[in-house]
Amino acid sequence: MNNTRRSTKLLALAAASALVLVACGSDDSTDSGDSTPTDTVEETTDETTADTTDTTEGDDAPEETTDTAGEGGAGGEFIDLGTFVGDPPEHLDPALNSTLDAYQVINAVYDGLTEIDFADPASPAVVPLVAETVESNEDGSVWTFTIKEGAQFSDGEEINASTFQNSWERAAELAGDYSYLMTFIDGGAERLDGTADTMTGIEADDATRTLTVTLDAPYSNFDAVAGFQLFFPVPQAAIDAGAEWENQVMFGNGPYQLEAERSDEEIVLVPNENWQGDFNGETWDGKLDAIVFRTQTDPDTGYNAFEAGEGDNANIPPGRIQDAEENWSTTLDTSILGSYHFVINDRDERIGGDANLKLRQAISSAIDREEINSAVYNGSRTTSTGIVPEGIPGFTPDLCEYCAYDLEQAQGLYDEWVAEGGVQDGPLPIQFNADAGHEPVVAIIIDNLAAIGIQAEAQPFPSETYFSELAGGACVICRAGWFADYPTYDNFMYDLFHSDALDGNNYGFVNEEFDGLVDEAKQTTDKAAQAELFQQSEDVLLNQQTMAIPINWYRGDYAYDGDRVSNFTQTPQGLIFWEQITLAE
Amino acid sequence: MTSFIIRRLLLIIPTVFVAVSFLFLIFYALPGDPATLIAGGADRNPNPIQIQQITEQYGLDDPIYVQFFDYWKNVLSGDLGQSFQQGRSVNSILVDKAPNSIRLAMWALLIEIVVGLAVGLYSAIRRYSVADKLTTVGTAALSAIPVFVLGFILQYMFAVYPNKQGWPEWMRLRTSGIAAPRTDEQWFLFFIPTGPDQWRYLVLPAITLASVSTALAARMMRGSMLETLGADYMRTAKAKGLSERRIVVGHGLRNAMLPVVTLIGLDLGATIGSAVLTETVFSWPGLGSTIADAVGNRDLPVVLGLTLAVVVVYSLINLFVDVSYAWFDPRVRLGAGDEP
Repeated sequence: MNNTRRSTKLLALAAASALVLVACGSDDSTDSGDSTPTDTVEETTDETTADTTDTTEGDDAPEETTDTAGEGGAGGEFIDLGTFVGDPPEHLDPALNSTLDAYQVINAVYDGLTEIDFADPASPAVVPLVAETVESNEDGSVWTFTIKEGAQFSDGEEINASTFQNSWERAAELAGDYSYLMTFIDGGAERLDGTADTMTGIEADDATRTLTVTLDAPYSNFDAVAGFQLFFPVPQAAIDAGAEWENQVMFGNGPYQLEAERSDEEIVLVPNENWQGDFNGETWDGKLDAIVFRTQTDPDTGYNAFEAGEGDNANIPPGRIQDAEENWSTTLDTSILGSYHFVINDRDERIGGDANLKLRQAISSAIDREEINSAVYNGSRTTSTGIVPEGIPGFTPDLCEYCAYDLEQAQGLYDEWVAEGGVQDGPLPIQFNADAGHEPVVAIIIDNLAAIGIQAEAQPFPSETYFSELAGGACVICRAGWFADYPTYDNFMYDLFHSDALDGNNYGFVNEEFDGLVDEAKQTTDKAAQAELFQQSEDVLLNQQTMAIPINWYRGDYAYDGDRVSNFTQTPQGLIFWEQITLAE
Repeated sequence: MTSFIIRRLLLIIPTVFVAVSFLFLIFYALPGDPATLIAGGADRNPNPIQIQQITEQYGLDDPIYVQFFDYWKNVLSGDLGQSFQQGRSVNSILVDKAPNSIRLAMWALLIEIVVGLAVGLYSAIRRYSVADKLTTVGTAALSAIPVFVLGFILQYMFAVYPNKQGWPEWMRLRTSGIAAPRTDEQWFLFFIPTGPDQWRYLVLPAITLASVSTALAARMMRGSMLETLGADYMRTAKAKGLSERRIVVGHGLRNAMLPVVTLIGLDLGATIGSAVLTETVFSWPGLGSTIADAVGNRDLPVVLGLTLAVVVVYSLINLFVDVSYAWFDPRVRLGAGDEP
């Protein structure tokens, strides 16, 4: 997942300021219109009349009136200054979006088939949401979802199995950044390249409320993927509107819906009065009456605006971490499902191959990850003990045996490598994309390596071409970063290190044992057995072969006023459950 | 005079063509292809399938001369193209954002004229007074502080600090945006805010944008006025027994204004240039912050389209300044008329 926040904005500005002044135009202030969403359900009007005629009926009246949000209510208005920092969102349509920022809005507007329950962060569980039940056959190649009775969109349109079929066909048609996920489904690849009109793997039976999905290849984590935004249900209005849907007064089946068309400056969400409640049967009656997302063109401005009382939260700019920790509540303690690491190219003679295993292990053990975290990131990251972070089902702590800073072990391994005939014929390049904040990390690593006698040098690449160069085979020891698209182990192991991904996102690791373990795990439906297999594959990657060097895991980056705002939490996917937030009077 | 104006108007065409073409080519000389950036950005490995989709969607694999030719063909038919980033038409972005930039620029210009001239005039008349010395130091400092630093300082002084001190709402200015959440800003006569709340959003960006120009205008006004005050005809006026007020306003000001007016006109280009920084620092939804975004995202159509509009306006302002200068100073006018 791409996080669009940028902190180096002012650098770009300096370049831009050379060419700018103002131009002419007509008096047409930015649109936002006063059109109201097409909700006004019967229920609401009933309640308001009940309210005005007052105490006609006894006991059940109070319960109902608590539902009417907007009635000078319990909720209040939440002004978000921390989600859209830098740019307004490009897309708001679940079929088109590929950023975490816009997913914050999309996830509030739509509910998917499944949801990840992070109640126990150590072992997150996939739970049904709009689905009543989720089942698969033995090898995970056919998945059956039954849809909850009474599921509906905020305009009252019923949600049934065919809703999902139509929504998924629409997503394939719109061909957004994530549409390649449709290739998981039988016939999805043909649908995407235009050789078929529908995806043959989807069968919807509205009479039995059953959605049956046949996959292209067995995949036992499809239940997690099915809850991802690309697979959200959309109403008929969205299917009619096509790609224009996101510019309309968007609504769905989630706790919130848009109040008016989005503008670059503001996106406003108001409660969906037809929403039934989230998983575990909770309805969050006191939820916010409105959430206003205000675009901040600069991270420091956003933080200043928050401190000036103009909003309820902010994205913490790197230089303000300490200030935020001292003065505000933050989500800095939440681990986010992303990994910052270095990858090694097995095909490079200086570092790859069995002969250099001990050299790689020495390098990984010699790096002081704590020092990197405190010196470069002000302690705002979590020091890695593996590639796959906490929050991914199957995660196990301390998996990596060469990730702790252990000079003695590192020196020993290096000496053994030398004794076995290893010779360095020049400094090893440590590669990274320039001007993206990685210079100090690499500088510390080079110092660390020098301490045990390994020569290394920094090798910066232009940011724009960095990843394509790596995919072209330029990697020796190269920096990489990855945010999970959906919380599965394979989103790391398969997408980054499987030989299928070689010269895509895999920069040079080919190992039959590893591939076999990942392939088997992807087909294993028993979660415990699957976790075991994935852990074994990561063990091959980090311990037996040491082809990747984990550095740290990302953490949350919101500050908020804890005296006023309660239940503001970021899930490991980075998402905020807006419906759970309450404001103090 | 008419032929002078027509000739200058025609000159705008090659100016715009060269400027925009230059930008177009610069973008292609930069490393990396836009598709990679649109797909991923610097902090993540982009998906190869995505890159291919984007390349095809925007015709990025066409040879550069084909893309170049197509671009100009569309521009001449009034279509500035589609944003890579948002899929919106650049024309609609222009119509959306330009009014906000013009409003801010008008206020900055107003501050520059009123404050700059008043301060310059005062310190010229009260030469070597404490106020004059303060002005000299103050204007030098102001023109040396980078715009975004000044913006952040003002934000802290007039918004963050008052809020932390718990001062009443009306004493706290705003740092971010053009109007309060969930309100549509309304303008009287295009540029005058209609509510007290709206003023609080306008004050800081307007002052920030005006800062450097105001300092320059004040210094220029002071220098020019001092020169005029020392002129022979001023001594003559004094000898005639006119009041100081009539001497300064009636005789001095008119003559001293000439170079100042020219400066203000020419400086408008620079003022509007610093709007990129000001708008970004205050999340002001104008052209400047949009172009800055687009440069960062390598959103070529937006950068080109908005720059094109800017170059046209800048050329027109230049022309206006030249014409008014000719009008003020007959020597220039006659010289221009003599040219074949």
